[in-house]
Amino acid sequence: MYGRPHFIFSDIAVCNLKRSPFRTAGLISIVALLAFMLFGGSLISCSLFNGADGLAKRLGADILIVPKGYDQKIEGILLRGEPSAFFMDAAWLGKIAHFEGVRAVSPQLLIASLNASCCSMPVQLIGFDQETDFIVEPWIKTALPGRLSDGEIIIGGAISGGAGSKLEFFDREYTVVAKMENTGSGFDASVFMTMESARTAAEDFIARGGNLTLPDNAISALSIMLNEDSSPIGTTKAMNEHFGYGNSGIVVVPAKEIVSNVSGNLRALVTIIVALAAILWLLSILILAIAFSVILNERKREFGILRSLGATRRKLASLVFLESGIVSLFGGIAGVFLSALLILPFRTYIRDTINMPYMQPSVIALIGLTAGSLILSFVAGPIASLISSAKIRKSDIIDVVRDGEL
Amino acid sequence: MMLEALEISKEYKRGDRPFFAVDGVSLSIDKGEFICIVGRSGSGKTTLLNMLTGLLTPDSGKIAFDGVAYDRLGDDELSLLRNTRLGYIMQGRGVLRNFTVLQNTILPRALFKRAEDPEAKAISLLDRVGIRHLADQLPARLSGGELRRVSIARALLSTPDLLIADEPTGDLDEETAAEILSLFRSVAEEGTGVLMVTHDLDATSLADRTLVMQSGRLRERA
Ligand SMILES: Nc1ncnc2c1ncn2[C@@H]1O[C@H](COP(=O)(O)OP(=O)(O)OP(=O)(O)O)[C@@H](O)[C@H]1O
Ligand SMILES: [Mg+2]
Repeated sequence: MYGRPHFIFSDIAVCNLKRSPFRTAGLISIVALLAFMLFGGSLISCSLFNGADGLAKRLGADILIVPKGYDQKIEGILLRGEPSAFFMDAAWLGKIAHFEGVRAVSPQLLIASLNASCCSMPVQLIGFDQETDFIVEPWIKTALPGRLSDGEIIIGGAISGGAGSKLEFFDREYTVVAKMENTGSGFDASVFMTMESARTAAEDFIARGGNLTLPDNAISALSIMLNEDSSPIGTTKAMNEHFGYGNSGIVVVPAKEIVSNVSGNLRALVTIIVALAAILWLLSILILAIAFSVILNERKREFGILRSLGATRRKLASLVFLESGIVSLFGGIAGVFLSALLILPFRTYIRDTINMPYMQPSVIALIGLTAGSLILSFVAGPIASLISSAKIRKSDIIDVVRDGEL
Repeated sequence: MMLEALEISKEYKRGDRPFFAVDGVSLSIDKGEFICIVGRSGSGKTTLLNMLTGLLTPDSGKIAFDGVAYDRLGDDELSLLRNTRLGYIMQGRGVLRNFTVLQNTILPRALFKRAEDPEAKAISLLDRVGIRHLADQLPARLSGGELRRVSIARALLSTPDLLIADEPTGDLDEETAAEILSLFRSVAEEGTGVLMVTHDLDATSLADRTLVMQSGRLRERA
């Protein structure tokens, strides 16, 4: 009937926190903000790295050739999944195949489907030549038993449906034979089919009033693999010189450059994020330390009373330590939880905003990130309280309470 | 002698001028003895009590409890002494605002755990000082006199060998003050030494001895 029967030392800390709700909420918010930023920052960094990594692994071409003026578009397709359609003469295939340093060439036909029945997003249809292909085939081998026939498709990880299901593009049905893993790159929103199927899709589109002119013998892009001893940059230069840069109607893109540019930008970005997180961590420890120190001053009377009742200095110091630990625990959990709630479900939105390949880490990696953020948050409060604890252990100021001090 | 102070002094500075708040005071109290200290405001009474409870270290002189000198005890031992054998009722409001009356009363046991449950004893002490009905209230709702009585009950919780009280009846009405004084008297009769600072002349008539503090010096009342 008179409150809790056993009132122990840790109850003093809990009681103090509960009965000073504003002070406690303020301290918890500081830690929560820290945890929020730590978790959010590391999650976004990780996702960017995963995205770039996925793209690098999938993009087997050293050089891409696209019609003049479309080098930005191919980047959009690869990095951001922004569908395009563009064409050039298939005769380029023969011209390029014999260029010095070229080991393999494979053509692609790119068609954009802006509102497919299957998907909420625009889809990139990619026709590829199974005879010469060296990009698509290697990473679908596991999923695809035999060769792709006309009317059969392989879908990217972000497209709904699985093997055996049917998708419709421009009123024609296609059968899904395999689905790829998510990569975080533009390939996730792509559909792969034979060159013939892609051509049929384009004709269907035009027949339905689509604004597209499809020349005979058209291809959209050429993927080029070089010999071991040829450099992409050098070969790009040589091709530009040979075909006449600016008036050949094509543009030569050193594809690995796209990827390494992304990686380079990313490294800079991640360095900034990590540096910001470290600064934030130190800053919040500093703010907490100042807060604890101010609070200590206003708690002198409380500590003086506890001293008169027989609290050792060590006990008082551990009281401060314990309170800061509890605050950090709640703040850390709240911050990580909020951060996860705000970032995890909105990956598509984040990806569209930062315009880079973005792929959330696996569950195990997520657990690691969570644990790391929590640990850094949990220790922030206790570290910040060390100064106050040391003050309590050393000085006389808290021993004697003067009347009127409140 | 249970508590013995020998020639203890404490010097403070007022502006640049140093002065002795306590100036060569010697004092001893035995079990069951009831001693009152009277003296004008600022004469050094609280400073003396703070030194006697080990919260403040004298600049010179010696204090010993049961023959053990304070300067030979570490913080842990001195704290344990305060927790188990001394009951100190500080001047002013020695109550923590975050805890209920009952929690405040059993606070000493939260600092050093002992086997028996302090609650029954706490309730009976609150009853004895007349505030049992307030056991679950927070201090913010209590009057000054009620808060005072919480400190008194708390100081008696561990059945101390020595009760040290700094103006315990200061903000009590005459009737309640008389009740508290008779409580102290009966505590002394049960064997606890009582050292009380007071302005209440009725109190001194109950005491075995009354000492007068004046400008840091202590002398027997004539
Ligand atoms: N920490 C301190 N620093 C400087 N001077 C102090 C300090 N503590 C007390 N004093 C001074 O020492 C003198 C004695 O103070 P003390 O509190 O012991 O008086 P008191 O007899 O208890 O007075 P009261 O009856 O008003 O409580 C006072 O003049 C006070 O101003
Ligand atoms: Mg005083």
